Amino acid sequence: MSKYLEISNLTYEYPDGYKALNGISFNLDEGDSLGILGPNGAGKTTLILHLNGILGAMDSSIKLDNMEFIEDNLAQIRKTVGVVFQDPDDQLFMPTVLEDVMFGPKNFGFSDEASMKNAVEALNMVGMNKYQNKAPHHLSFGQKRKVAIASVLASKPQLLVLDEPSSNLDPSSRRELIDILLSLEISIILVTHDLPMALEICPRSIVVNGGSITQDGVTKELLTNDKIMKENRLELPFGFALHHLDEE
Amino acid sequence: MYMQTTHSHHLSLHDESILYTLSPQSKILATLLIVVSIAFSKIINPFQIISHALIVLLIIKFSRIPVKTYLKRLTIDIPFVLFAIFLPFLSSGNNDAVFTFFSLDIYKTGLLEMSAILFKATAGVSMGIVLTAVTTNIEIIYGLQKLKLPSIIIAIMSFSIRYIDVFIDEFKRVRISMQSRGYIEKGIKTLLPIAYASGAMLIRGYERGERVYLSMVSRGFNGVIELQDREYNNSNYLVLLTLISIIVLIMDLQI
Repeated sequence: MSKYLEISNLTYEYPDGYKALNGISFNLDEGDSLGILGPNGAGKTTLILHLNGILGAMDSSIKLDNMEFIEDNLAQIRKTVGVVFQDPDDQLFMPTVLEDVMFGPKNFGFSDEASMKNAVEALNMVGMNKYQNKAPHHLSFGQKRKVAIASVLASKPQLLVLDEPSSNLDPSSRRELIDILLSLEISIILVTHDLPMALEICPRSIVVNGGSITQDGVTKELLTNDKIMKENRLELPFGFALHHLDEE
Repeated sequence: MYMQTTHSHHLSLHDESILYTLSPQSKILATLLIVVSIAFSKIINPFQIISHALIVLLIIKFSRIPVKTYLKRLTIDIPFVLFAIFLPFLSSGNNDAVFTFFSLDIYKTGLLEMSAILFKATAGVSMGIVLTAVTTNIEIIYGLQKLKLPSIIIAIMSFSIRYIDVFIDEFKRVRISMQSRGYIEKGIKTLLPIAYASGAMLIRGYERGERVYLSMVSRGFNGVIELQDREYNNSNYLVLLTLISIIVLIMDLQI
């Protein structure tokens, strides 16, 4: 397998001098999925904004499929890396669901028919096809989140990056979301506090704390190591035990 | 955390009116032309006034807007009325007092100006009420885009419509959380926390704007927002009414 995403020694300082990322390095092979775990304020969202060149676009410490993150490549990179943001209200801004889902493909140069086809397909994948002509602000939070995911899938990304996708979802919406993500045949980078979800979707995880990667390994091993968990302010839900998974 | 969203600002009524199925661009254009021809009509010309009044009444009838709803929405006409009722006392052309009312002179020029403002404002407001009752917010934006309004204005309008609900809901949550902690809104002194909350809302709005923009850039935004094409009927009656309205203005016929 080739190295698909290569990040070496990525450092980012916000204009106010706050160092959000400090020497981040990791690789991702094609088709693999990765969990990014870590406490609040660890720099996870800042890291995401680098993955499609929104922050530090001129930084050569990131390569995607051997593409440098330079101005000329940005459109291709943003088409390849689809980012689903934390608050779906930030993402859904068009008057109707269908128009919103078509926004990405149209920008990335798909024809009107292809954009429509992609949008309908993406809405089908998340089970929201019958809401095509609804206004996004009339949907429930879980529905908005699904549409936000469709709006990114419609551009046919190779790598899907999700920022806290299970936050504010009820358990069955969360379950539906996990099933949707498992059904996708693309790489996923999942940024989350929802450790059981990371375990289900990502065989491998990195732990970010204080702007640096403190752990990189098999998700299950990370979650069963009490010392690592404590040091990085991570905790499994009460009553949740991993040992029964070993017996499967 | 998230409550059901507000629908309070939606003016369009889901009724059976034929005006509902017409293309928004033709409705906007017709409204504009009819309002302009009413605005230029002369109050001393009964032919123009009667014809325009008939056209407006006909359109109100077509819209099938309930009388109660219509009258309620007509209240935005009140500022014009308040302004107009002072005119007969103040506006004198050649000191042409018609009669005296409690030792105040009432002038003919002022009376005519008052009637002109009352008629034109009411007719104009009525056209606006009908337009918004038979056209949804989204359709008005779509229509304006079809009428080639600059894309930046279209973008600002569609963002306002999209985010006003989010903003109102956010503010409601802030107030509920204030009230939950014992805050009671009473008198001018208790407005300070509301002012702070408004400031916080402003910053949140700014930050949200930035996040929305980032998410748009992530999906390849390059400055163009395009709405999907929609299908509508055309109405010759609307074209006819608009034409009559303009012709009536041009003919300047005295009966």
